[in-house]
Amino acid sequence: MFRITLTGLLAHRLRLVLTSLAIVLGVGFIAGTFVLTDTIDAGFTQSFAADADKVDVVVTPDDDAEPDGNLPESALAAIRAVQGVEDAQPMVSGDAPLIGKDGKVVGNVPTAGVSIPASRIKITSGRAPSAAGEAVLDKNTAKTQGLAPGATVTVLDQAGKRQQFRLVGVFDVGLDQDLAYRGAVAFTPDTARRVTGAKGFTEIDVVSSGPSPESLRTAVAAAAGKAKVVTGRERADEVAKRNHVDTSFLRLGLLLFGAVALLVAALVIYNTFNILVAQRMREMALLRCIGATKRQVFGSIVLESAVVGLLSSVLGLLTGLGLGAAAVAVLRAVGTDIPTGTVSLSPQAIAIGVCTGVVVTMGAALLPARQATRVPPVAALRAQVEEHAFRTGVVRVVVAALFVLTGVGLTAAGVLQKPGQAALLTVMAGGVLVFFSVLILGPVIVRPLSGLAGWVPARLFGVPGRLAVDNSRRNPKRAATTTVALTVGVTLMTFMTVLTSTMRTTVGDQLDQQFPADYILSAQTGTIPRSVADTLRASRDLAAVTEFRGKKAKVNGRDFEVGTVTQSALGTAIKPEAASGTMDGFGAGEVAVADLVAKDLGVKVGDTVTVASGGRRTSLKVVAVLKADVSLLPPFTMAEQTFERHFGRVDDAQVLVNAADGVAPERARKIVDDATAAYPVVKVGSTTEIRGQFDEALDSILMVITGLLALAIVISLLGIANTLSLSVHERTRESALLRALGLTRTQLRGMLSVEALVLGLVGAIVGVVLGIVYGWAATATFTENVSFQLPIGQILLFIAASGLAGVLAALLPARRAARASVVGALAAT
Amino acid sequence: MTTTTQVRTAVVARGLTKVYGEGDAAVHALRGVDVGFAAEAFTAIMGPSGSGKSTLMHCLAGLDTVTDGQVTIGDVEITGLNDKQLTLLRRERVGFVFQAFNLLPTLTAEQNIMLPLEIAGRQADQALFDRVIETVGLRDRLGHKPSELSGGQQQRVAVARALISKPQVIFADEPTGNLDSRSGAEVLAFLRRSVRELGQTIVMVTHDPGAASYADRVVFLRDGLLVSEVERPTPQTVLDTLMALEA
Repeated sequence: MFRITLTGLLAHRLRLVLTSLAIVLGVGFIAGTFVLTDTIDAGFTQSFAADADKVDVVVTPDDDAEPDGNLPESALAAIRAVQGVEDAQPMVSGDAPLIGKDGKVVGNVPTAGVSIPASRIKITSGRAPSAAGEAVLDKNTAKTQGLAPGATVTVLDQAGKRQQFRLVGVFDVGLDQDLAYRGAVAFTPDTARRVTGAKGFTEIDVVSSGPSPESLRTAVAAAAGKAKVVTGRERADEVAKRNHVDTSFLRLGLLLFGAVALLVAALVIYNTFNILVAQRMREMALLRCIGATKRQVFGSIVLESAVVGLLSSVLGLLTGLGLGAAAVAVLRAVGTDIPTGTVSLSPQAIAIGVCTGVVVTMGAALLPARQATRVPPVAALRAQVEEHAFRTGVVRVVVAALFVLTGVGLTAAGVLQKPGQAALLTVMAGGVLVFFSVLILGPVIVRPLSGLAGWVPARLFGVPGRLAVDNSRRNPKRAATTTVALTVGVTLMTFMTVLTSTMRTTVGDQLDQQFPADYILSAQTGTIPRSVADTLRASRDLAAVTEFRGKKAKVNGRDFEVGTVTQSALGTAIKPEAASGTMDGFGAGEVAVADLVAKDLGVKVGDTVTVASGGRRTSLKVVAVLKADVSLLPPFTMAEQTFERHFGRVDDAQVLVNAADGVAPERARKIVDDATAAYPVVKVGSTTEIRGQFDEALDSILMVITGLLALAIVISLLGIANTLSLSVHERTRESALLRALGLTRTQLRGMLSVEALVLGLVGAIVGVVLGIVYGWAATATFTENVSFQLPIGQILLFIAASGLAGVLAALLPARRAARASVVGALAAT
Repeated sequence: MTTTTQVRTAVVARGLTKVYGEGDAAVHALRGVDVGFAAEAFTAIMGPSGSGKSTLMHCLAGLDTVTDGQVTIGDVEITGLNDKQLTLLRRERVGFVFQAFNLLPTLTAEQNIMLPLEIAGRQADQALFDRVIETVGLRDRLGHKPSELSGGQQQRVAVARALISKPQVIFADEPTGNLDSRSGAEVLAFLRRSVRELGQTIVMVTHDPGAASYADRVVFLRDGLLVSEVERPTPQTVLDTLMALEA
């Protein structure tokens, strides 16, 4: 039986190539994920280990210390005094806002001002700072600001005063994500403390003069007092482990896409084996005639799938190695600061790749194999294998109905639920069930759908068109499985597109609501002097200037942000939405509370709350509870005078500026820029910029996801090509008859292309509908105020692309069909 | 005995040679066949297995290329045509009835009958359609799919399809090969009637002397050569000729 299986495999090798390709791609993606993440992991571990070798003992603040609790300065001297300590270098960390080329502070958050021990700092050009007037800058900031050693850099010290330093070098922040994000200026330890005002140290690195790190650790721990003391090696392991969690997330995310690809591959394999079994009906029957048992027939198919699965999984591993290496090469090429080790396949990747590949292939072949056992021996003697007309079974309908009802029910429940993660998960669970019902009902719905999708082609392409549409629904089961494979990819793509475009509009609307302003002034650190708002108000080109101020205070005994807003702006520039009560006529002694906080504290309109800070107490009457998610106002908003009476004169936290009608944006911008020029920490943002940044982020997310989903689509196209080439094979005689009756080669090719087009369109239509519905349902679970947006252009593009992809998939099978000689095909039985 | 009469010939082959393969493996299926088929007549091609009768039909119909010689259908020499021209020629001037797999399973009987006309983008002659349907006796089966028809009915549908486009010649390749004797007789009678009543030209390949006896004339092939022919055959004269050939 084994030999028969093998010869069978060889005989059908061409047909199995496409099937294998589906598995190769799926397994390749999964193996590639492991290769990539393993390589990154190895890279991190290597570079941590390299760092660790330079330091014997690391002292850091205790884990349960306050977030900004540092090691006391006395610790350094104490550690230096320990016997066996060759050197102990402190690490200082604070804020040192860098002034950029435009005279404003760089970035959204203050640049870090640090001191890094000479043994740890990675200088890429120049040298480390050694005198009070010297500084080095991190590589990325130096590049974006166009600064090179020899230049002068200006930073703001703790008092907000400008301090100038000579740049003596550029350094690499390495794996410190915080520094990489903020950018960093490094000084000598004393300068760093003077500039940033940081008290104490964030870390002390100890180098041993002889004793082993372990014994030195004990000695240092005794001297350092309340601190966490570990050896360099332990520290490296710990950081590496923390980092491993990061790569685990990446791995999990990528594996999810791999799973989708494998699901699609499973559908393709299932279909192929089904068709192979149908085609080999006579062969099976002959085997049964000459004495093969049902078991043996079943076994031979399963064995065949095992061989295919194993071979393609091995190929998949190689593909994965290539994919992973390519991804690593890309990471290196674009210059990301992700360290990478040597690219290799770990035993884990090999085991998981091969197992999933083989299991998926064999699993998908089980049902077709069972089908093969039902072939009666007498079938070998029948002249022609008749086509089995598909009949909708009661079981199918009942099971599908159950899935549909539960799925739709869950979805509806999720949508009606209060927005949140639970609601989203409910909707997604409903989505999975509905998808399964589509899978089960596929053969039933594919007929009317192909009629729908084929309506235009049938009329456009004459006889070949009509024949193609008929053919596309000739074997509904096969057509359904073929198209469902495509549906998976299209559904997810549509889902993502609907999600992102809805997010885009929703956030855009919220931006309009929340920032009813052209410009937003905010301070990177501290506050904005009130003189800025006063200057702006004096300009006739600006229509509205709204100031926000805030302070921390205890309200009814709990810490909250209490604030106020320019009184005249209420109801004009700022229109808070009240859940209950109203802010109309808002005045002294009154307070508006955000709904979430109001619920938290159990206060409602008419209640009185007490604000306490700095020994003062003010009682306020709640007049409005505001919808927090559409409000710019702080949890507690007081009237301006009341706020000032309680807190005194407080500078602005934020200023919103509206240009007057008819004023050119450039002009308004210049006025705002001029007014803030003297204050480097005050940054000017415009809503267009914010929206642009958001759009950009959304676009890149969408692009990455689309790229990852493309794999599933490619696999499903292999499925279409497979189904078509098998159909072409089955219909050799029919094609020959049509050619004899006067169908030209071009028309025959066209007929198959139209059939593929219809299959592609059906898959796309189902996918688009599911994607839109679930995109909508998912966005409904995000927030209550969703502006649902249907990206019609993109969705039409998906449908068109699916149709086109189907046609592409048909190219080779159609070519083969058209090239067959009429006489030869007629003679074939 | 004369090979051609004063009547018009619909299909003529001159020095028709067909060789499959090359060198030692070369098989000479036809070795220079000269034959003409009278218009509005029913001609049968007979011969033992391997005599080349199917190859002859395929070459005459333009389904297969010839190695040497000429084939003329009506006034068109088809041996110089390319695939596209041959396809168009088949569409316009040739009809086919095969032994089996004659019909497209997805189409109804009526759709199958109309298929050649639709492929050619031509309108059906309603009077002809009615007459053909009446002659074949398929009126009540028109809406059925091939799988719902008996073998005889399927072949009648195929004949109707061949007739509907009024081709210059219909080639029938063992049209009764898969039928029981009664259904076979029906189909053959119908073929003969379509020659008599509709003036159709039919060339039929068969190995059944009974079937051949329905024709006006039988030509005999052996080893790729035209060796004999019988006018106004009966089963007996056909059988006798065959016996003589095999002796």
